[in-house]
Amino acid sequence: MKKSRIISVIVFFSVLGLIIYFPGRKWARGHVNYMTAVEDHPLNCLSCHVYTQKSGFISKLVNRKYLSPFNLAVSRDGSRLYVVAQESNALLVVDPETHKVLNKIKVGNLPHSVILSSDGQKAYVSNEWSDNVSVIDLASSKVVDTLNTGDGPAGLSLSADGKFLYVVDSYSSNISIIDLNTGEERKRFNAGNNPTGTELSPDGKTLYVTSRRALIEPYGETLKSELTVVDENTQRIRERRNIESAYMMENVAFTPTGDLAMATMIRPKNLVPSIQVEQGWMMTYGMTIIEQKENGRVIQLLLDEPNAYYSDPFDIVITPNGKKAFISSSGVNTISVVDIDSIRTLFAKSTPEQLANYSNNLGISARYVTKRIKTGAAPKGLALSSDGKLLYVAEQLEDRISVINTESLETVGSIDLGGPRTITVARQGRRLFNNSGHTFQTQFDCYTCHPDMHEDGLVYNMASKDMGRNLTNTQSLRDIGDTPPYKWNGKNQTVYKQDGMRFSTVLTRTEQFNYKDLDALTAYIITGIPYPPNLQYNPNGELTESQLRGKALFERTKDNLGNDILENNRCITCHRPPYYTNLKMAYVKTLAVTDDSMLFDTPHLNNIYASPPYLHDGRAATLEEIWTKYGKEDKHGRVNDMSKNQLNDLVDYLKSLRAPAYENNIPKKLHAKN
Amino acid sequence: MRKTLQKNSLRTTVAVILCGICFVTVITAQPKTVKNAGKTDIKDDAKSMPVYGHWKNFTTKDGLPSDHAYCVRIDGKRVLVGTHDGLAVYEDGKWETYTTKDGLAHNGVLSIDVSELTGDVWIGTLGGLNRWSAGKFETFTQFNSGLPNDLVYCVICDGKDVWTATGGGAGHYDTYTKEWEIFTEKNAPMHEPWTYGVSAGDGKIFIAAWGGGVIEYTKKTKQFKDYTDPDGEMEIDLLPDDGVVHDITTATSWADGMLWVSTYFGMSSYDGTHWKGYFDHDSGLASNFINFLRAEGPVVFICTDKGLSSTNGKSWVTYKKNDNSSDGMAIIKNYGRISDSTINKTTREVPLTPSIAHNFIIGVDADNDVLWVATEKGVSRGELIK
Repeated sequence: MKKSRIISVIVFFSVLGLIIYFPGRKWARGHVNYMTAVEDHPLNCLSCHVYTQKSGFISKLVNRKYLSPFNLAVSRDGSRLYVVAQESNALLVVDPETHKVLNKIKVGNLPHSVILSSDGQKAYVSNEWSDNVSVIDLASSKVVDTLNTGDGPAGLSLSADGKFLYVVDSYSSNISIIDLNTGEERKRFNAGNNPTGTELSPDGKTLYVTSRRALIEPYGETLKSELTVVDENTQRIRERRNIESAYMMENVAFTPTGDLAMATMIRPKNLVPSIQVEQGWMMTYGMTIIEQKENGRVIQLLLDEPNAYYSDPFDIVITPNGKKAFISSSGVNTISVVDIDSIRTLFAKSTPEQLANYSNNLGISARYVTKRIKTGAAPKGLALSSDGKLLYVAEQLEDRISVINTESLETVGSIDLGGPRTITVARQGRRLFNNSGHTFQTQFDCYTCHPDMHEDGLVYNMASKDMGRNLTNTQSLRDIGDTPPYKWNGKNQTVYKQDGMRFSTVLTRTEQFNYKDLDALTAYIITGIPYPPNLQYNPNGELTESQLRGKALFERTKDNLGNDILENNRCITCHRPPYYTNLKMAYVKTLAVTDDSMLFDTPHLNNIYASPPYLHDGRAATLEEIWTKYGKEDKHGRVNDMSKNQLNDLVDYLKSLRAPAYENNIPKKLHAKN
Repeated sequence: MRKTLQKNSLRTTVAVILCGICFVTVITAQPKTVKNAGKTDIKDDAKSMPVYGHWKNFTTKDGLPSDHAYCVRIDGKRVLVGTHDGLAVYEDGKWETYTTKDGLAHNGVLSIDVSELTGDVWIGTLGGLNRWSAGKFETFTQFNSGLPNDLVYCVICDGKDVWTATGGGAGHYDTYTKEWEIFTEKNAPMHEPWTYGVSAGDGKIFIAAWGGGVIEYTKKTKQFKDYTDPDGEMEIDLLPDDGVVHDITTATSWADGMLWVSTYFGMSSYDGTHWKGYFDHDSGLASNFINFLRAEGPVVFICTDKGLSSTNGKSWVTYKKNDNSSDGMAIIKNYGRISDSTINKTTREVPLTPSIAHNFIIGVDADNDVLWVATEKGVSRGELIK
């Protein structure tokens, strides 16, 4: 080939490349600008088109299956740790001396808690996404029985005589009592809203069960969460105690002498405008402490300090001598060490007024928090060795167990559970999601208002610049990547925009996520938040007769009088499967006078039973109330011709809706990842 | 009241009475001559039928929120009474009242039952249903739940299930799955959705449906069967013992293999094969106008507008208050079969001092040696004569 021809070819392709490059880059720039709502986000195709893939080859290539240790137990002789590996559906048997994982026992889906029988021969593991408890023979490391429970079994406790297993059903909000002789559920109580934690008092007479979500109350009422007290002797509920201004009471522990019970909690200030964030004190974290005597006092003490918050307290354990409590704060990767004698002193020397005021005192923690111990990402479950000398911490997003000497209060070891070495982009995003480091004074993180990546059941006053009141019912993040736009007003067309600069302006009130972190957070939110199965209302895809009738009503085009229903007034028009949203804005005449004028983004409806209250400002306590109280003008679908039977059928059908992954039977989507 | 009245007007009238709205109506019991057949000791009669005496009456003067008592339920050491003005709880000799201020759905409490499984108290009111658990009220209404209707005439606990009889049909609530089912004329053999009573027994649910007789629901098969009056709307029972005595039923109760059914025109029993009718003219029944009944073992207690009757199907004991004093009597009737054609009837009237609070009886409950009665003029507590 002649030199001139070669040059001509090079020139041709160069010109062609430039012709493609510049308009292409311009197009890409515009595309990225639209997706991110900023003009300087790096043009990196991988962040959007690789790391956000939910399934397929690329997804497998860039993601890893982690263990995510959540809770754990220690054998009486201290020779074994039993670790719930939540996202590998397994109980890990670990030798704390050699730091080796000796066995990986497969259990049900998304195991939550583990407890050991008093003789140390059996372990019980609650499987939150299977609605059962695995009974494991520890000698053979085999599952020897599976006990059916209510929906979402979480916390576990054994009766004093070891004959009964108390299971806290977190999704159906029950307490199941299982007779271990027969394996049958003996009775089931109503508990508080979304209960999880449970502990039997040292005298074996009283079982406490804590709630995560607050009781549904109209906006403006004082928040209350139920502490359910079970009489172990009669196996009846003895008391339903409202703990005011608190929620997310994840776990509870008794002192060995039984003089105090201590539960972790969050005190949210959801009634004040969100501009409060930049003043601090928007969300506070601490303990509810209940004196165990007649007319015992209940006080709330914060773990926080002025200008530093210890977000997302999860577990609490107390040393055998009753002197120290350890509390994991998963939002700030910290274990707080609490001197219990100092709390006893507070009880003894404070007036009732002083005790009441402590709940809002950020400075008082210096009187009882003696040390903060840093951990790896997202410390969750805690367990003490039987002599109380070692504390084991499940570092959920590290796939590790850290070991802390409870006398020196130093970390003395770290047990690698053998999870993937690589921290994927989405995993990094999950760490960011769970970490308060990006919020002013570490007041909260995404997980705080979206526990389990769902929602916290609260209504917040998201005051805008125009200072509209804008009461906002927190929305679930499950499969949220598939249902843009975001926010109730639909202003954010992508997760990038939702969590970008505006997010920091409105909520975190600090530096926005850098773009690398934003890419990671987005990748996690889009790919890593699946729905739980809907085992309570639709366990196998076969609808009940009532649900089938409700489905027909949901899809109907004519009302009971035979008249055509306007297309935009049919349920199916706006709430179209598979997510039961048409991704468009709608007018349903629920705008309050204090709201900024807006249409509302049509919400997705899968697992809607698990998201009370309803409507944008949470005014409807139940699904029924959407229409019985707030649908009088048929603006939210044509319903006023329906009989009560039909409304019940419709609600039954709505409760049956579940994620497309279950309808399509795609097993790989049924487990959380990253 | 006559059968010739149309059902709708009857329904309205009687419903109003049941709701207590027309309690101002003075119920005038017809006095009978008190006879004492020579024996003053009623212990002998207690051998075949429990007889209660030593009556103690409670009114607003004793701490009840209202004298209009609709229902009573014994719950261990305490007694729960539904009144027109709230729930009254009698414990350790004291009455305590709970109203809407405490979380009650409505102050008119029509029915109470206690779950043997959980100890939760379920309360049917004129404005919804409550679960009262460890001191906390939870409210179900037709607006916030699948409860058929806020007018809850009757509520019962059957294992993990709660059944209600309401003005808008019978409701079934599964406390485990938290799902409601509604049964009306649209999906059950009822004439209309109005239901007054519900009871459980023998794996079945028995619904007292206005104009529909008794609706039997078999839990295992989920199949319905209805029992209606073969005589239709005839005033008289043309063929005795051919079925339930009237289609307008007010309560059902099952115990010891026997279903008891009350109507405003007499009472029926059903042993699974044969029906038998009981009327004021051919039995010891105080009146054909029966508000409620409850069976305990072989004995059924019948709340009428003219006193409280009780029977085991053969012997009868009726408690009546005298019009002009707090005293009254126990009328004891024994029916002994001498031959196929001859029945020996004996009647004794035994003075009671004091007697029950009033003859218009709406609720009753018995437990061990104690009988509690809800009347228009207070609550009465009787002790078993041993």
